[in-house]
Amino acid sequence: MKLLTANRLTDGVTLWHTGTGWSEDAAHAARLDDEQADALLTDWKTRETEVVGPYLIPLTPDGNPVQREQVREFIRANGPTIGQTADALSQAHGRADIFES
Amino acid sequence: MYVYDSFDHTFVRERNAEFADQVARRLSGELSEDQFKPLRLMNGLYLQLHAYMLRIAVPYGVLSSKQVRKLAHIARTYDRDFGHFTTRQNLQFNWIKLADTPKILEELAEVEMHALQTSGNCIRNTTTDQFAGAARDEHTDPRPWAEVIRQWSSIHPEFTFLPRKFKIAITGAAKDRAAIRVHDIGLHAKPEGFDVYVGGGMGRTPHLGHLIKSSLPGEQLLSYLEAALRVYNRYGRRDNIYKARIKILVSALGPEEYARQVEEEWNTLDKAKIDAPSAEIVRIRSFFPDPVFTDKTFDRVALERAQIADPAFARWVKNNTHAHKRDDHVSVTISLKPVGLPPGDASSAQMDVMADVADQFAYGELRVSHEQNIILPHVAKTDLYELYRQLDAVNLSTANGGKITDMIACPGLDYCTLANARSIPLAQDISQRFADAELTDKIGDLQIKISGCINACGHHHVGHIGILGVDKQGIEFYQILLGGRADEKAALGQITGKGLSAEAVPAAIERVVQLYLKLRTDESERFIDALERLGRDTFAEALHEPA
Repeated sequence: MKLLTANRLTDGVTLWHTGTGWSEDAAHAARLDDEQADALLTDWKTRETEVVGPYLIPLTPDGNPVQREQVREFIRANGPTIGQTADALSQAHGRADIFES
Repeated sequence: MYVYDSFDHTFVRERNAEFADQVARRLSGELSEDQFKPLRLMNGLYLQLHAYMLRIAVPYGVLSSKQVRKLAHIARTYDRDFGHFTTRQNLQFNWIKLADTPKILEELAEVEMHALQTSGNCIRNTTTDQFAGAARDEHTDPRPWAEVIRQWSSIHPEFTFLPRKFKIAITGAAKDRAAIRVHDIGLHAKPEGFDVYVGGGMGRTPHLGHLIKSSLPGEQLLSYLEAALRVYNRYGRRDNIYKARIKILVSALGPEEYARQVEEEWNTLDKAKIDAPSAEIVRIRSFFPDPVFTDKTFDRVALERAQIADPAFARWVKNNTHAHKRDDHVSVTISLKPVGLPPGDASSAQMDVMADVADQFAYGELRVSHEQNIILPHVAKTDLYELYRQLDAVNLSTANGGKITDMIACPGLDYCTLANARSIPLAQDISQRFADAELTDKIGDLQIKISGCINACGHHHVGHIGILGVDKQGIEFYQILLGGRADEKAALGQITGKGLSAEAVPAAIERVVQLYLKLRTDESERFIDALERLGRDTFAEALHEPA
């Protein structure tokens, strides 16, 4: 399984593909099977007026990004970990942190 | 400070208009990201983990109060109400929208600022001593020379696409506060001329710069720099990004051979066409006069009374003021390292207060130090207590200048796409551990520098204690380096012991510090001096938890 993620062109905000569109909240990211993920990535790579640098994040069976991506993707999903509340995406979205840190 | 003339205004306005057009074409799809990326980088705009980051140039770290108010306004209007001061004496905004960038650049131009050459393989912002023009130990004011270099290097047609980025630092004091030995070119301005060091740098392959020229007359500085850059531009390794910095070329050729080639190139140049004419140097110097110093009488007794009545103020005076060339003035360090908060950050409200106190007490002038603090270069001693009280009201009175909690830390993995590990949370944990003011004073001068990856934006190679974040199969680890220093006795720290987890680092540092306190000859022996006397091995064992 994989997630599809990118940054929005206009403001650079981190986006997560929900299977039907994009969300700013990683909690809504769809767990995509490999074939679907590859097809979506191919499609979005050409749609450059909407997103920048789309890529796939491989997942472990428990739904976390694979180890080598885990810290980086935890921070992308939940915001900087430095205690500035304005930056806490999890609070902005009214949810707990997702992915294990 | 330097004031734009009509050429500068036109140049910046035209560049902004050009970039506004490029942004519009990117948003419309006319430009692809591959086409746009080098253009936005030339204008200081990066895409980081969460948003665009705009790096604004602060030439040689000098700011007016008006400029600081504008930066506060930009933070409030276009960002998340804070800015981050960097080790290149610049300012970064971390939450910028692409579509807002042209407007931001327009606003910056109103106060004679821009973001040009803050990225890309060009000559970057020349950095210098934060106490320039004020320090008691200064023999030559480096600011006019930094301005001469800025004008020469701005969109220099030959040096806009160098093999890699190029950083110049310049000091004019006995004590090197500009870290000149770890720059591509380091200049020591002396009354008899410049000492030129070449081939220093940090990053993946750290090197100390080599002295290749002494007593270079200022009137010939630009042609000599042109020759030095030309040799690098010709032979620098464009085939391998990791070997493209000048330090690799100088190391491969040997400093003597590199110097010989520079000399040979220099002799072929038509120097008169390159060097700034004496009258131009005089003109540029005229932008950097002393302020009209206040004639308020310095009441020494009142200052002493205030220090006795308010020990926190006394501590701030001791740690955060620096000897000024006038007996009745000091330079003040406004620490951006409050315990437990991100190093180098300032809110828009704090920026406004810094601008206000600069107007009220410091002749309207501020500086950014490469240690990520703000400096008021000229403050009458008579005004110190009132200044302190106003800073204290907005959490800007942390009295830790040069102390263990006055850390340099890069943005790290919390923001940066290049980072392997987080820097800021580690700095926060270390500062919490050493929050006790009495303890930090007892420890004395000790510089910790933290980088979240091998690129060394946090200068870990030259920290008395350096910390390098590495990625070990997806887990953050930190290597500890001991013995680095960036001053006139510059040295590169050496990796000591095994990598540690983030949780283990603060305790490891505490054990090293406790050992230092036990072994130092007396309070006057600083950590770095004790380390050099006793050797790294003495401290290596303390880094790890006793079995």
